[in-house]
Amino acid sequence: MSEKEQILVRYGGSRKEREIFLKSMMSPDGKPEVLDDDVILDASYANMSGDICSSIYAEFGAEVIKIEPPEGDPSRKITHYGVNRNGTGVPFIMEARNKRYITLDLRKESDREDFKKLARKAHVVIDTYEPGQMDAWGIGYRQLSELNPGLVYIAISSYGQYGKKAQEMIDVPDSDITAQAVSGAAANIGDVATAEEPYNWPLRAGVWLGWHTSGILAAQGGAIARYYARATGEGQMVDVATADAYSSLVGYPVMVAFTWDKARPRIGIHDFCLYPYGFWKSRDGMVAIAASRDHDFRALLKILKIWKHEDDWRFTFDRIPDMLTLVEELYGLIGNETKKYTSDELVKMALDYSIKSARSKWRGGGVPIIMKVQNPSTTMQNPHWAVRNSFKEFDESGIGKVKLPVNFIKMSESPPRVKWVRCAIGQDNDYIRKKYLQ
Amino acid sequence: MENYFDYTKKLFDPSQVKEKPEVFKGLRVLDFTHVIYGPTAAKVLGSYGAEVIKFELPWTGDLWRFGVLWGSFWRHSSICFHFVQYGKYFFSLNLKLPKAKEIIYKLAQNADVVMENFASGTAETWGIGYSQLSKINPGIIYLSCATYGQYGPMRFFPGWDLLAQAASGAISLTGYPGTDKYYKLPDYVGDFLPGNIGALAVIMALNYRKKTGKGQYIDLAQTEALMRIMPNFTYESITGEELGRAGNTDPTMAPSGIFKSSEGKFVAVAAATDEQYKGVCQAMGHPDLANKYTDTFERLKPENAKELYETAKKWVAESTVDNLVELAKKHHFAIAQVEDDYDIANDEWRRERGSVVMVTDDIYQRLLMPGPHDMLSKTPGRIKWLARPLGYHNRYILKKLLGYSDEEIRQLEKERVVGYWDDKPGIKPPVYYDIKSDPMFNYRGE
Repeated sequence: MSEKEQILVRYGGSRKEREIFLKSMMSPDGKPEVLDDDVILDASYANMSGDICSSIYAEFGAEVIKIEPPEGDPSRKITHYGVNRNGTGVPFIMEARNKRYITLDLRKESDREDFKKLARKAHVVIDTYEPGQMDAWGIGYRQLSELNPGLVYIAISSYGQYGKKAQEMIDVPDSDITAQAVSGAAANIGDVATAEEPYNWPLRAGVWLGWHTSGILAAQGGAIARYYARATGEGQMVDVATADAYSSLVGYPVMVAFTWDKARPRIGIHDFCLYPYGFWKSRDGMVAIAASRDHDFRALLKILKIWKHEDDWRFTFDRIPDMLTLVEELYGLIGNETKKYTSDELVKMALDYSIKSARSKWRGGGVPIIMKVQNPSTTMQNPHWAVRNSFKEFDESGIGKVKLPVNFIKMSESPPRVKWVRCAIGQDNDYIRKKYLQ
Repeated sequence: MENYFDYTKKLFDPSQVKEKPEVFKGLRVLDFTHVIYGPTAAKVLGSYGAEVIKFELPWTGDLWRFGVLWGSFWRHSSICFHFVQYGKYFFSLNLKLPKAKEIIYKLAQNADVVMENFASGTAETWGIGYSQLSKINPGIIYLSCATYGQYGPMRFFPGWDLLAQAASGAISLTGYPGTDKYYKLPDYVGDFLPGNIGALAVIMALNYRKKTGKGQYIDLAQTEALMRIMPNFTYESITGEELGRAGNTDPTMAPSGIFKSSEGKFVAVAAATDEQYKGVCQAMGHPDLANKYTDTFERLKPENAKELYETAKKWVAESTVDNLVELAKKHHFAIAQVEDDYDIANDEWRRERGSVVMVTDDIYQRLLMPGPHDMLSKTPGRIKWLARPLGYHNRYILKKLLGYSDEEIRQLEKERVVGYWDDKPGIKPPVYYDIKSDPMFNYRGE
């Protein structure tokens, strides 16, 4: 970095200059890719967590070869309300980032030979079949690691590759909603016990908390294993259980149950640790409010002009009682005020206050945060993401125009990028056969 | 050939974890992060063997030391703080003082990774930003975690998990269609998932450095990380319509849902493929439905999916969970009983697998924790110790890593460059623990 650039990165640079500089610093154009010498075989079948995992590698520049039977991976048909483009659904298109597609029917011995040939040259294999299936076919970690000792073998399944439960549930396939149910996500979403049915039932999260977390975490584990393989030449097996991924990601379920000796109840829109920390109705929409530290909360009371309640809710621990009636009282207290203003007014009130308090020599002014609640449509229109190139539109034959959330990690030397989303079945058969199978 | 499960049991044997090598042994991470999002990224590197030095302000410490559920501490500490801070070295240093900066610059000379999650630009003003530390050590990998990233018009906006959910639109996706009943994603997953993506980015950068020797700067925006897992944008660009909420069914599979069984337990059922669909139709006693919707996309259309959802709901209401699981094994469709915190903590299989582990610790004794989310056969992750009171490793770091003498350390303490805890739960040792005779806290260098 030159002296001038160093100044620009620093807070002191002018807003415009700093923005332009950081944007070009993080731009992927013409930069190398981390995994440009890695070959990844994605043999995942009917399980999007495998496709998600291989997507991450493809974004970082690996040659990802998706192995499908001639009729296509059933995960192509896992799609919202049946929406598809030429037989390929929304999630599959979203994860069809920079991949190559070859048709190999792993049920056939001859195709398995081709798979073995590919595996000799590969660095990572991704498997989502039921535990032991690939092994029974002679192409599991046990056999492939003999052929290629440096191979990293990622297996994703409901209950993992070892242990009694994995064996017991071997005939039951994996899905996102079951992964959410068994890993503690669903049990902690939903309205309070006193609400009417079915609102007080455990609820599925509106994103794939089972499959997306499993896929991303598997990519993380695989990248760690690749680092070890680069250093020592030794590959290994990475085992991810979708039934574990969420609970091990957030940690709360296990630790709360141990320290409380019971499960948490569902508490609807409220929070166990922080208050206010949620969303409220404004005059024209919804606002999210986070003002949980004591000085943030005092600031919130001031800007909402309800300072008179300060005495009752002074400390964090007053505001997170285990009595629902009290929680709802405070919720109502804030809600009565927020509905008097528009969302924009509330956001401005909080920002004005925060700017003043940041400049104040008196401490404890607080930074109450109020944000307009966005939905995905309005998020796409936010100019902030345009500056950051967070979305990219593709126009591919067979798919048409699609928009993807991209560039989710910005790196100065070897950033990930999305180059294409073409994903016809067997579209790269010739290319792959020529390059790897001759 | 040996049975597959006997083979994998040996391969992953949890009792052997401590004997196996650590991938990141020898790497040093300077962790200037706080709360959940940033610390999670550093924790991942630590659990695979990196030496993570966590910096905190003396006497106050990390805000998340007080992040406890319903106001109750566990042994004067926060369980979530243990979860995001295990295995780290706790160094309490007043960043504002020039002497503290000297210490940081010395540590940075031999550091491999630096992480921070302050508001955009703050680390630079404090002299510990990428532009400054990369000058001292050009090979450094520097991760800046922020809610909106380091550039763009919203970069100064403060943020939490909640705000990332609000700004990405993720906040409104979980709930019932046609109502205003919706819920944020639970358990601060808007911090944990981006934090792990931060770790992933750093690991990729480490891979790159292994190949080229080059370090780099990483700008991670929590909100963009959440946007990465949302199908809504792609769906909307194809259909021109909002995806919206779907209640308790997964609109990518039919039938699918969380239902109530005859004994009042909750159970999730799904058919992800045509094969599974045929299986579930058999199990429901409706083979006719299997023939009615042979086309997957037809089956997934809202009105048809609704019919299947209602059929499945009725069927589950008349069966017991055990019965349903047996049917699923026979007919091959996805099923799982909803597990709450207590079920997860007490599942025998998770203990056997090592995804729930009882950690024994010198200070906090015993705590049940989740194990690593990825099981690596040769270089598994592990939990070596829990979080520590504020400034617990001060003397160890100053003496062992930097070679300060007792006299110099006393001087730093006197000038309040380094400090310890105040008499507050969250930052002080548990009341039963005799910290005065703790060999690490009183590290002498023998």
